[in-house]
Amino acid sequence: MLLPVLFIAPALAVLLSLSIYPLIYSVTISLQQETSAGVTWSFENFARLASDNFFLTAMAHTFVYTIAALTCEFLLGLGLALLLNKQIRGRGLFRASLLVPMMLPTVVVGVVWRLMLNPNFGAINGTLKQLGINTESLTWTASPRLAMLSVIAVDVWQWTPFVFLVLLAGLQAIPQGPYEAALIDGSSRWQTFRHVTLPLLKPAILIVLLLRTMDLLRVFDQIFILTEGGPGFATETISLYIYRTAFRFFDFGYAAAMSFVLLALTSVISAIYIRFLQAKEAV
Amino acid sequence: MNHKDTKSTKSDKQGSLSVLRVFVVNNFRYALLLPALLFALAPVYWMLTISLKTEVDQFASPPPWFVFTPTLEHYYDAFVTRAFGQYLITSAIVAVTSTGCALIIGTMAAYALARFQLPWSLNRRLSLWILSTRMFPAIVTAVPLFLMMRDVRLLNTRASLIIVYTAFNLPFVIWMMRGFFADLPRDLEEAALVDGDSRLGALVRVVLPLVAPGLAATAMFCLIISWNEFLFALVLTQTDAAMTLPVGIAGRVTQYEIKWGVMSAAASVAIVPILVFALVLQKYLVRGLSMGAVKG
Repeated sequence: MLLPVLFIAPALAVLLSLSIYPLIYSVTISLQQETSAGVTWSFENFARLASDNFFLTAMAHTFVYTIAALTCEFLLGLGLALLLNKQIRGRGLFRASLLVPMMLPTVVVGVVWRLMLNPNFGAINGTLKQLGINTESLTWTASPRLAMLSVIAVDVWQWTPFVFLVLLAGLQAIPQGPYEAALIDGSSRWQTFRHVTLPLLKPAILIVLLLRTMDLLRVFDQIFILTEGGPGFATETISLYIYRTAFRFFDFGYAAAMSFVLLALTSVISAIYIRFLQAKEAV
Repeated sequence: MNHKDTKSTKSDKQGSLSVLRVFVVNNFRYALLLPALLFALAPVYWMLTISLKTEVDQFASPPPWFVFTPTLEHYYDAFVTRAFGQYLITSAIVAVTSTGCALIIGTMAAYALARFQLPWSLNRRLSLWILSTRMFPAIVTAVPLFLMMRDVRLLNTRASLIIVYTAFNLPFVIWMMRGFFADLPRDLEEAALVDGDSRLGALVRVVLPLVAPGLAATAMFCLIISWNEFLFALVLTQTDAAMTLPVGIAGRVTQYEIKWGVMSAAASVAIVPILVFALVLQKYLVRGLSMGAVKG
């Protein structure tokens, strides 16, 4: 009985001290107030949240970003997976090339798209100009109207390949039997897709949506590089606002309080997904 | 005779029709796939060209996609004149060391979780708890980790990043390796145990060689994750001596006067090891990216 303990103990020690202890630390600083009379305890940091417009706007941005990017990535990824779920010439090349964006460091993705979207010498406006389109108002990440659209498009560019890859693996794991049955029944292509492919693909769909939702809700890197949350605060999501609060204003207590809201949000949403997943497995 | 002729032309017609149909369907596929391919790769290619262009060509209009005079001055500027060479070394040291630590600690835990029957269904509970620590948004732990590292005076050191990345990669290693161990038949170890090997001996001599491909794939994933990581590195390292390549690049992006060539050169170098690993990892990509949830 000693051996398993010896094997697991180091991992538990690392996780307790570097994942769990930081959370406890975070709870204490979020509840502490430094006043002239010393340290007092209160829920003030949490009470502030409800009336903080920056916080509410950042939450709204996070939801818009998550829902828009998730929808686009899912539909495009599913489409690509269906297109490549056939033995066609050059399939390996397509698959490998489509995966490039998702392997890149997010910082590099930020650099790539700053170069593409730059209003003066970027490839996008340069190409549009060649086609005779007036690009004066197309300032992308510098425009309050287009900045959110731009950062969403960049996320779709980077992560559609991931959705594609997981769904393709899911499609290829589906046995041929149900398809042969559908063929004998004389089902149309749409009926086959609707009643055979989609239900059998459901576990893969739920897993990929879960993983993407978690990543989208906490998005930080690309937006930090592309816009730093700007122009103004037009693309400031919750992680960026927490970062600004902690490392620009050094209000660690308030940043900790906000991070618990984000943690609660991601926990609840992942619990819902997992409930769906288990319901599927039970059937 | 006559009858036979009509029959053969009919089947020829059907044959050519179905060939035509396959042609249209396949080219319809290509007509959709080629733009997707272009869309995925063109931006990266554009960055590579910027890193090789003189400043005149960088700002030229219309943008030169293919025809320009290549130069390596930005690479020289970034890695010799500026400190990017040092960031690169830091990134490599941090990624390799943290991956090594996470692999050793994680593989042991994974083996125990996969093979020993723990009381109170701890196998399942511990595994799920370990997975849940990985689900914390990075910014949630970044704030307290910054304060903790400040308290123990480890800010702006490579050690702080090695420690944090080890913990960050640990749940991933445990979940991946647990899956690889579970895929192995138990008989092999049991035979070794019967032959008088100790548990540890069976693990080292029999089990580890069998999971070596999985171990290698897991290691490469950890290297990629550590190499790409940005938020913890940004928060914990702000000096030239300690910052990683992503933080170094980001620091140049958010300055007012941006050296586009230098930045692109550094970013282009940063993607080289990643692409090499990704090619090797193709087979394990789905499994790794879904934490073992989908065994592609």
